[in-house]
Amino acid sequence: MLKGMRRLISKVHKLDPGHVLHMGTQAPQSLAAHLDSQVSGQSPRAISRTSENDPAKHEEQHEGQHYSLPLQDMKTIFPHGLPPRFVMQMKTFNEACLMVRKPALELLHHLKNTNFDHPAVRYVLYGEKGTGKTLSLCHIIHFCAKQDWLILHIPDGHLWVKNCQDLLQSTYNKQRFDQPLEASVWLKNFKTANERFLSQIKIQEKYVWNKRESVEKGSLLGEVVEQGITRVRNATDAVGIVLKELKRQSSLGIFRLLVAVDGVNALWGRTTLKREDKSPIAPEELALIYNLRKMVKNDWHGGAIVLTLSQTGSLFKPRRACLPQELLGKEGFDALDPFIPILVSNYNPKEFESCIQYYLENSWLQHEKAHTEEGKKELLFLSNANPGQLERLCAYL
Amino acid sequence: MAAPVMKTVRGWSDLALGVRSAVLRLPGLSQVRWSRYSPEYRDPQIDKEYYRKPLAEQTEEQKFELELRKTQLIKAAPATKTGSVFEDPLISKFTNMMMKGGNKVLARSLMTKTLEAVKRKQFEKYHAASPEERAAIERNPYTIFHQALKNCEPVIGLVPILKGGHFYQVPVPLSDRRRRFMAMKWMITECREKKPRRMLMPEKLSQELLEAFHNQGPVIRRKHDMHKMAEANRALAHYRWW
Repeated sequence: MLKGMRRLISKVHKLDPGHVLHMGTQAPQSLAAHLDSQVSGQSPRAISRTSENDPAKHEEQHEGQHYSLPLQDMKTIFPHGLPPRFVMQMKTFNEACLMVRKPALELLHHLKNTNFDHPAVRYVLYGEKGTGKTLSLCHIIHFCAKQDWLILHIPDGHLWVKNCQDLLQSTYNKQRFDQPLEASVWLKNFKTANERFLSQIKIQEKYVWNKRESVEKGSLLGEVVEQGITRVRNATDAVGIVLKELKRQSSLGIFRLLVAVDGVNALWGRTTLKREDKSPIAPEELALIYNLRKMVKNDWHGGAIVLTLSQTGSLFKPRRACLPQELLGKEGFDALDPFIPILVSNYNPKEFESCIQYYLENSWLQHEKAHTEEGKKELLFLSNANPGQLERLCAYL
Repeated sequence: MAAPVMKTVRGWSDLALGVRSAVLRLPGLSQVRWSRYSPEYRDPQIDKEYYRKPLAEQTEEQKFELELRKTQLIKAAPATKTGSVFEDPLISKFTNMMMKGGNKVLARSLMTKTLEAVKRKQFEKYHAASPEERAAIERNPYTIFHQALKNCEPVIGLVPILKGGHFYQVPVPLSDRRRRFMAMKWMITECREKKPRRMLMPEKLSQELLEAFHNQGPVIRRKHDMHKMAEANRALAHYRWW
């Protein structure tokens, strides 16, 4: 009996003596997580960051660690498309750090092994609200930008199907509608992100804007974009031309094309826009949506298509819907079929610990109790390891 | 109804938090604020640390307390008091005072957004400051909140007393809870009334809290006005009879 007691006491002394009391009240499965966090807590505090800032070199060993992106690059690569809370965090910390997570690593592995002669593969990131789909998409975009791909990034599909103040009848096709404001804003951001390609790509067809203006075959794509930005009436048609030309020319092999759409379920849902006679407009009657649907079809090669589903901005979808079938509907699912679904889930214990460590390093968690084990357990409980919730909780602690 | 409880039970004098002052219920005197609980009900002990103390560390009285609680009737704990480590009674009280129409969700979200706004402003200042000034910048929104409200508390108050058909503002000492209440009330009224139309409450509140933390701003000025009035009416202090 005494030998048993001695072994027990020596085991107890191996752990931190202050936590002896807590052990007795904990359930066995959280014990493993607790020990994990203790072990990582006692080792040097470098686990939350990695010095590997090139997404191409991210491997499983970097999983859970944050890598920093230079702020100058953020302005060129992401003129739009970052979640607003992340932008606030970037401004507060004066740095942009993304966590390397499994879904992004999986996607990177697929992208590195793409065969550019086969049709473009569609990857769909799906998951619960706040799990990190948009930021995983941003990780992929950063990787592709570093590899010199042409990035076609639509920041939020839902913005194009709701709250449009000025809807014009399209000059190209009488049945469809133009959205000059949204199109011109998007063209401006597209120009910022892909400056160098605009002076290299030449269009292969003549397009006539109106009786006096036209753009000849062989002129630069930059001209089309300029025309769209300056003449807001033709912006939607300019977007259509850009999409058509890029799709045609990516197969030639001059550049690699990445089509990244956040909130792709907007393309096949319903809109809240109405005609003058108050009858609803279907998404395919909007020229932007019509052209984007053609882009997302896998009948071209020379790149990849990465899509994200989002319930947050969606229209007429229940709050709990997060699966592809629920959010895309029959029409959307059939249009996107076949695709590779990638689930983005909540943080596992290692990632959670890393996130808390990152906040502690930036002194973001100012509350005294947040540094203690009790505080961390409570944060885990309150947020359920959901990245979005954890960020909102830590904001006021 | 139970007979008035006599205070002969030992250990009542060192009851921990949440004790109501046990007023003797004499027949003929009706309570102004009364509860549905009869006098033998005891207040609940929310603190987790109290129950986690090992037996060896507890004093005689605490052991007696624990034994007593096993048999005594205990009131239900209010929904707002959690066993959370992040709970702060002053923040809860402030949130309740900000609440309108029972909309606690809105009041709490305003409070959390205010704390976040305070934190972000301080971080901005921190990053803009030189290394020598950085040590002086306080980034913890909770310390700023507590210090700001403490700075707003008046030392002496005024009470209208009727004498000879006229009401006179008589300077009077204030209890701790009255002072805390006045500070919070002034802060909330100031933010509600003097706010520009399109500015949201968290932004205005964070601005006022930061100014009060540095002993500037309209709430501090109101406190000083109160002190000046009290000083001016010093002669009327004799009208107070308590």
